[in-house]
Amino acid sequence: MVVTWRAAALMGLGVVPVLLLPANGTVLVWSVVVVLACVADLVLAASPRRVAVQRRVPGSVRLRSEATSELVLRNVSGRRLRAVVRDAWGPSAGAGPGRGNTERVRPAAGGSGRHHVDLPDGEAARLPTTLVPTRRGDRTAGGVTIRSLGPLGLAGRQVTLPVPGRLRVLPEFASRKHLPSRLVRLREMDGRAAVQIRGEGTEFDSLREYVVGDDVRSIDWRATARRREVVVRTWRPERDRRVLIVLDTGRTSAARVGAADSTGAPRLDTSIEAALLLAALAGHAGDRVELVAFDRTVRSRVVGAAGPRLMPAMAESLATVEPVLLETDWPGVVAQVRTRMTQRALVVLLTTLDPAAVENGLLPVVDQLARDHTVVVASVADEEVAGLRSGRDSVAEVYDAAAAARGDLERTAVTTMLRRYGADVVEALPDDLAPRLADEYLALKAAGRL
Amino acid sequence: MTSLPPAAMPPSPAPPSPTPPTPPAGASGAPTGPADDAPVVIGDDTTGRSRAAIRWRRLRWPLTVFVVVALLVVFLAVVRPPTSAAPYAPDNPEQGGGMAVAEVLKDQGVRITHVTTVAEAVSAAGPDSTLLVTPNPSFFADDQVSALNRTGADLVVLNPDFGVVGGVSRNTLDSTYGEADAPVAPQCDDPTARAAGDLALRPGLTDTSTAGDDVRPVLCWPDGLGAYAYARLDFPDRSVTVVTDPAVLRNGTVLEEGNAALALRMLGQHEDLVWLVPDPMDVSTGDDEPTPAELSQVNELMPPGSAPVALIAVLAAVLLALWRVRRMGPLIVEDLPVLVRSAEATRGRARLYRAARARGHAAAGLRASTADRIATRLGLARSSDATTVVDAVVAATNRPSQQVADLLYGPPPADDAALAELARRLDILESEVHRP
Repeated sequence: MVVTWRAAALMGLGVVPVLLLPANGTVLVWSVVVVLACVADLVLAASPRRVAVQRRVPGSVRLRSEATSELVLRNVSGRRLRAVVRDAWGPSAGAGPGRGNTERVRPAAGGSGRHHVDLPDGEAARLPTTLVPTRRGDRTAGGVTIRSLGPLGLAGRQVTLPVPGRLRVLPEFASRKHLPSRLVRLREMDGRAAVQIRGEGTEFDSLREYVVGDDVRSIDWRATARRREVVVRTWRPERDRRVLIVLDTGRTSAARVGAADSTGAPRLDTSIEAALLLAALAGHAGDRVELVAFDRTVRSRVVGAAGPRLMPAMAESLATVEPVLLETDWPGVVAQVRTRMTQRALVVLLTTLDPAAVENGLLPVVDQLARDHTVVVASVADEEVAGLRSGRDSVAEVYDAAAAARGDLERTAVTTMLRRYGADVVEALPDDLAPRLADEYLALKAAGRL
Repeated sequence: MTSLPPAAMPPSPAPPSPTPPTPPAGASGAPTGPADDAPVVIGDDTTGRSRAAIRWRRLRWPLTVFVVVALLVVFLAVVRPPTSAAPYAPDNPEQGGGMAVAEVLKDQGVRITHVTTVAEAVSAAGPDSTLLVTPNPSFFADDQVSALNRTGADLVVLNPDFGVVGGVSRNTLDSTYGEADAPVAPQCDDPTARAAGDLALRPGLTDTSTAGDDVRPVLCWPDGLGAYAYARLDFPDRSVTVVTDPAVLRNGTVLEEGNAALALRMLGQHEDLVWLVPDPMDVSTGDDEPTPAELSQVNELMPPGSAPVALIAVLAAVLLALWRVRRMGPLIVEDLPVLVRSAEATRGRARLYRAARARGHAAAGLRASTADRIATRLGLARSSDATTVVDAVVAATNRPSQQVADLLYGPPPADDAALAELARRLDILESEVHRP
């Protein structure tokens, strides 16, 4: 049972009779009146256990986008239901205030996802709550709490019903803004553009008429001789190459990167952004994309999805990938790549260029990969460390800068080693990693190294 | 197409696709798939009976423990007579207690009121009663002593400090120090003293009365050096008895010589005996307690009906608390992510450098990093040696060769200031180097 502020106010109103008849007996009589009113209210309140509740949640939503959790309440109590209803979600689900705006459903104060409901017997209402999730993964809803008040609003009954609800929060894919420009560059490599990029790694596409501006070197003289006009050959980039994105979900992926004054985001999130952009680009270029999230076992995997099914599969499988506080098993990664890729492929390792971790983990095995495949190691740099590097204001900051410089040197050394073993290295700040990796892919494609 | 491993199979219907290149503006977050198949929940599968059973199950162990403890307390309280460990208390059966005398007095029909504050003593004592003040480790305040004097009861004071001696005797007595070796006769006319006979009481009183005093003390059991162990003053309405040796009351010594006789005669004069065992923290005098008449005066100062109104306010506050205390359903728990910043490793290393005063290491790091960047900018190979780099920098900046070599490859700085200066000059050098 619950009492409301009205009960306290009613008790406070007792001042009037007490002032008229100042005696302790008056207080007693008034208290009895208040208690009786509350009990009557309690008895007359609709039973919150006789309300049919259904929670409708969209299957999934992209991070920081809006979704609506909707409660459908049907009053089967036989009485009028006057209640405050709470649609409970965890903090990361980003539930806002209730959104209902009808005579039966109004937003209620006191927290997120609360609604005032005034429902005659036998009727139903929808209680919408806006969710703007702030964390990737599965967000699970709590119960639905119904506080049913009596006709006077003095007291009521409260119950929390276990109504299931789950919202899958997909990666934000903020890097999709870089996709149009990369697709344009992909098309430039294609035969459709007027200016041709010809070189290794392109294959003969078709013959067409010469237009002013075409490279004269691409004129096919034999075909020109057969016909009465000048004919040029067109080229297009290779297709149906295989791309394997390996997402390192080991301990180094849990560290947070970002500006010094923010909480930042885990390295893994940036890696996921880069993986999504690369997959979208490679999918459009006609390559076959696979993805493995791996630390000591396979955490998630996308295989065999192509065309319009690729990106949903990627988003879905990356939604629930979380950093694991374990050292990554790099020989295991190699074994994974070997089993997945029998022919030459582009293997993109989204990991961290942490000198100690790389020396013990990746370096001993990278040459095995680079022998059979084109390997790109992509890593997120830390904005905060970049800020430390230029600090000169105090002695402590100079030491910070020295430590950052020393770290840079070690990373450079590791990068050099990796390049010597035949791997390409892309290291960039969180916002730049996805476009840089896409550019690297385009460069490899143009060079025919896939 | 290979078979899909379970990890790649989404358990929910197809999600909204973040499909590039035209990200759907409004569609992100739009519900997909039929949501109508979500289960409809009515009630929480409990009845009034099952909820009562749940509450009972939840409460029965705490309740059992509470009841057991309560029964134990009641049992102990009933079985064991209330005793205390306070010295000279009438319910203390130890060596230093006063229970022996108190029990005998009770058997003789004396009603004993055990009090611990002056205020209680003042309210309990009156004419036709005896007020016993047991030895007190602390000083009584002057107003407390005068409050004890004003009760009208016969006053018996055991081993008082000198302030109390003067206070209760109207300055006709003073404390001194004496030793008692063997029992002596009372050597005075006081009937109580004569009845007790020979006693080995420690003396500690001297007579300071003058002929002008209304009442002069009767002093007994002298030590021959002018100190007495017992003094009695008979004021018109009451008497005051001062005994310097509390042995007369202690359970352990009351049976020696005539101690018991003296104690029983002193304390058994009246049917009512107020037994004050002073509390060191007590500062009450019995005067500040408002009498019923004073209480009604206080009420007159307040507006009429203020007490019931205050009661109403308290009850309303209780209801407000009940309103606020009930949470709208349980808290929702959520696993928190790891919160470790990537830069912590760098910061930790910087602190290690600083703690170890590793200026050489720090300077070498700064220099190598600057040289590395300059070499990249000037298009030098990574394997270039120091001379090549210095020559290239000299060519690019027109600085003296020695200065550049010192900056980039010089000795480690001597102190922190030199390190900061080095960092600053390296920055300047780097800013001067441009692509040739």
